[in-house]
Amino acid sequence: MSDPAAPKPPGAASAVLRSLELRMLGLALLLAVILSLSSPFFLTERNIFNILDQSVVIGIVAVGMTFVILTGGIDLSVGAVFGLTGIVLAQALQVMPIPLAIPVAILAGAGIGLFSGVLIAVFGLAPFVVTLGVMAIGRSLAFIASGQRSISGLPPDLDAIVYTKILGVPANVLFLLGLYLCAWGYLSYTKGGRTIYAIGSNYEAARAAGLATLFYSILPYVVSGALAAVAVTFSLAQIMSADPLAGNQLELDAIAAVVIGGASLYGGRGSIVGTLLGVLIMVMIRNGLNLMGVSPFWQGSAIGAIIILALLAERLINWRSNRG
Amino acid sequence: MTAPAVHGPDDPAAPAPAEARADPLLTARGVSKSFGRTHALVDASLTLRPGEVVGLLGANGAGKSTLSRIVSGHLRPSGGEIAFGGAPLALASARDALDEGIALVAQETSLAPDLSVLENIFLPDLATPGRLSFRAMRERAGALLSGLGHEHVLPLDAEVRTLSAAQRQLVEIAKALALDARLVIFDEPTASLSATEVDRLFDIMARLARDGRALAFVSHRLEEVFSITDRVTILREGRAVAEDVATSSLTQGDIIHHMVGRDIGAVYHRREGAAPGEAVLEVRGLRSLPWVRDMSFSVRRGEILGLGGLVGAGRSEAAEAIWGLRPRQGGEVLVRGRAVPLRRPADAVRAGLGFVAEDRRAQNIVPDLSVRENLMLAQMGRHRGLGRGYGRHAARAAELVEALGLPADRLDTSLLDYSGGMQQKIIIARWLLTDPEILILDEPTKGVDIGTRAQVYRLLQDAADDGLAVVVISSDFEELLGVAERVVVVSDGVSIADLPAARLTEEKLTLLAAPRSSTARNQALLRELAEAHGGDAFWTLIDGDETICLAQAGRPAAGLSPGEAAEAWETRIPEALHRRGEDFVAEPDGSRRTLLTQMTDRRGHDLGWIGLTLPGSAAPPAAEAIRARVHRLTHETEEAE
Repeated sequence: MSDPAAPKPPGAASAVLRSLELRMLGLALLLAVILSLSSPFFLTERNIFNILDQSVVIGIVAVGMTFVILTGGIDLSVGAVFGLTGIVLAQALQVMPIPLAIPVAILAGAGIGLFSGVLIAVFGLAPFVVTLGVMAIGRSLAFIASGQRSISGLPPDLDAIVYTKILGVPANVLFLLGLYLCAWGYLSYTKGGRTIYAIGSNYEAARAAGLATLFYSILPYVVSGALAAVAVTFSLAQIMSADPLAGNQLELDAIAAVVIGGASLYGGRGSIVGTLLGVLIMVMIRNGLNLMGVSPFWQGSAIGAIIILALLAERLINWRSNRG
Repeated sequence: MTAPAVHGPDDPAAPAPAEARADPLLTARGVSKSFGRTHALVDASLTLRPGEVVGLLGANGAGKSTLSRIVSGHLRPSGGEIAFGGAPLALASARDALDEGIALVAQETSLAPDLSVLENIFLPDLATPGRLSFRAMRERAGALLSGLGHEHVLPLDAEVRTLSAAQRQLVEIAKALALDARLVIFDEPTASLSATEVDRLFDIMARLARDGRALAFVSHRLEEVFSITDRVTILREGRAVAEDVATSSLTQGDIIHHMVGRDIGAVYHRREGAAPGEAVLEVRGLRSLPWVRDMSFSVRRGEILGLGGLVGAGRSEAAEAIWGLRPRQGGEVLVRGRAVPLRRPADAVRAGLGFVAEDRRAQNIVPDLSVRENLMLAQMGRHRGLGRGYGRHAARAAELVEALGLPADRLDTSLLDYSGGMQQKIIIARWLLTDPEILILDEPTKGVDIGTRAQVYRLLQDAADDGLAVVVISSDFEELLGVAERVVVVSDGVSIADLPAARLTEEKLTLLAAPRSSTARNQALLRELAEAHGGDAFWTLIDGDETICLAQAGRPAAGLSPGEAAEAWETRIPEALHRRGEDFVAEPDGSRRTLLTQMTDRRGHDLGWIGLTLPGSAAPPAAEAIRARVHRLTHETEEAE
């Protein structure tokens, strides 16, 4: 009733302010400046590769989490799936070659995602509850399958997926960037990607418009499960051992990265670029605090504070631009 | 800045007042309100006096709701003066307004769905400290509701979520009265009410005004404005363009002119030379309980079919069942003569259907996608392949965007920034882009201002001219008759009549659409008459030589069948229909005798005729006894109401 007759085109300055990604980029750069001023080691080539390397696991998982959160869901099980598929991969490597074992682990992750996705999309169960249950089951199975021990003695060739360098860039970092590029293209320019946004924004309307809402409500959980397995593959290749407890609280880091990246937990709003920046911001904070010698116990407080401040700033900016 | 007021010929503001008017309870002058760069109100004024109902009118986006929300404390004005009872009024919150005695009965009700009716009525009291006496509340609520004449229709212990839209509104009104509101603003209260419910609401409003309350009525249904308001204030683009003008001094045309700032001509255009082709959609015996029990209709190429009936008659539910949004228990849907299994909306889209659902915000708009993406949404779902299929449809989309009057450079903005009318046009265009053969629209002009309405109808008629079969579901009978060529009437989940629009009027439609429960007595009477006298008893509308039969019982003899229209000469009782005598009228050939008795309600409205046709050979019973029986029926019905 009281809506304006026609929206006015925004000015250039407010367009920058309006773009969430640009704001997050600003925040990331600000952090980088602060950290490089407070530690001489921060802005070295070695440390930059360090940051990227540390971003790989959480970054891969955060892509799946972005898909899920865009539909308005949540996946609390990624940490447990990460641990369980790590054990699956380690066990598989005992009996089959690497090129076969990795797909098996990824399929296992995708299968778990499919299980959650079907319960959520077909039976209409709450994503929070379903993935909470899967998280408990996954962790428990990881302990059973591993015999409560870490599994080591993995084939040494496995580390090739991390340490091979292409044009001077490690393979795992290249994979991460490639994955983000693909996810960005998918979410922005394909039917499936836009359907995922539409589902999160207004499920009823998406369904009534004839979109394949059921399929694209399940898909994000499958992607999330599969990517958790991909992430653990890179992790195993570095540590050369699978721990049933691995990935504990990884889901919280992934959710934090997505939310810092500007996604709405109600779905429909967020972007893959934002998630990448969210991941980098989180990893930079950890890295910087380490370089400054801050106790790891304080790092949780620092990250928590950043998340809350980012959301608060977001809300204040939205209030301003809505109310003028 | 002063608003240019319009002075009608008998405007009491002119030197010699025709009647003494009370001093204003509320005067608002030069009220402005901005949201960011958007100026919702620029220079609005409003005067409300005790005992008067003032219509607050305007097209969408004119600022009616903003002004109502400012007066009721939900929004704070950016500028202007508001005086209440002679003193300046500064409201910090809706709570302040309630304390002053100003209440808003809003479009979307502000009730707590999980609480009972009683708790909702006294919701503001729950915020006061101290113990609540439920017994005292119950007594007070009973008194309030009986003051409204509705104590029996509202169970105090029912959860509000279980109530109908009309009942919820009643709770809102009772809530306002519980606070002793002296000023009540009704913000589009009739949007989701049926004709009967609107009548009841108007009775209540008249009663509230008689008790000395000042009422404002926000609406864009003009016929309602004329039937309930004493004065009107018209807003356009945030300014008052006519203030406190006597309603009786204005014509519909005047009001539309003020609302849109120009003459928009006739809202409805009759289509010339439209020759519908073969049936493209046939629905047979559709069943989707509990709403849809047995619904059948068909639409032909190039035809606009109206599905008429009251809110809750099952029309929307039938459309949703066809669309695969509701489970079906039976019935067939045929597209171009072939049965198609429609389990999901995607199936229906593939079969060549399109569907604009009733609730624009909840069922059509995807708020986080841009205008362009919303426009392309249905087409994208149909597109095969990985991409979005935008390129292939770009030319057609550009064409439609231009036809809608939408600037092409605004396609990447949010759809929510546009008026309801533009949103609706974009949603309709969404479906036109998929090149459907059949388009079903549920309440296509709900919340659409009158200027845009004409464009929506034009859009549909042009599409029908190009061969689209259109089904329009509407509770607005004027709209239904204006835009559709044929109307299927639905009552209590059953399609009961299929008539050319030219033969119908709003009154006839209202009678046809009456719910089965309220006509049960009439049907019982027909059965009783048919059995007692061994003839054909029927209930029909008669207009000149035209009849529309509503119900029938016994062995058919008169040639009238329910849900069908017939000219008197097409029936077997032309003489009786023509003469409508006090006693039985025999046909010239002596084959039949017929008694016709008219039914009227307490206001003298025609409720149709009860007829009894007997074989010519039988001895006719006393006409007076039957007449008395029919009269008793309408009386009993009144008492039960």
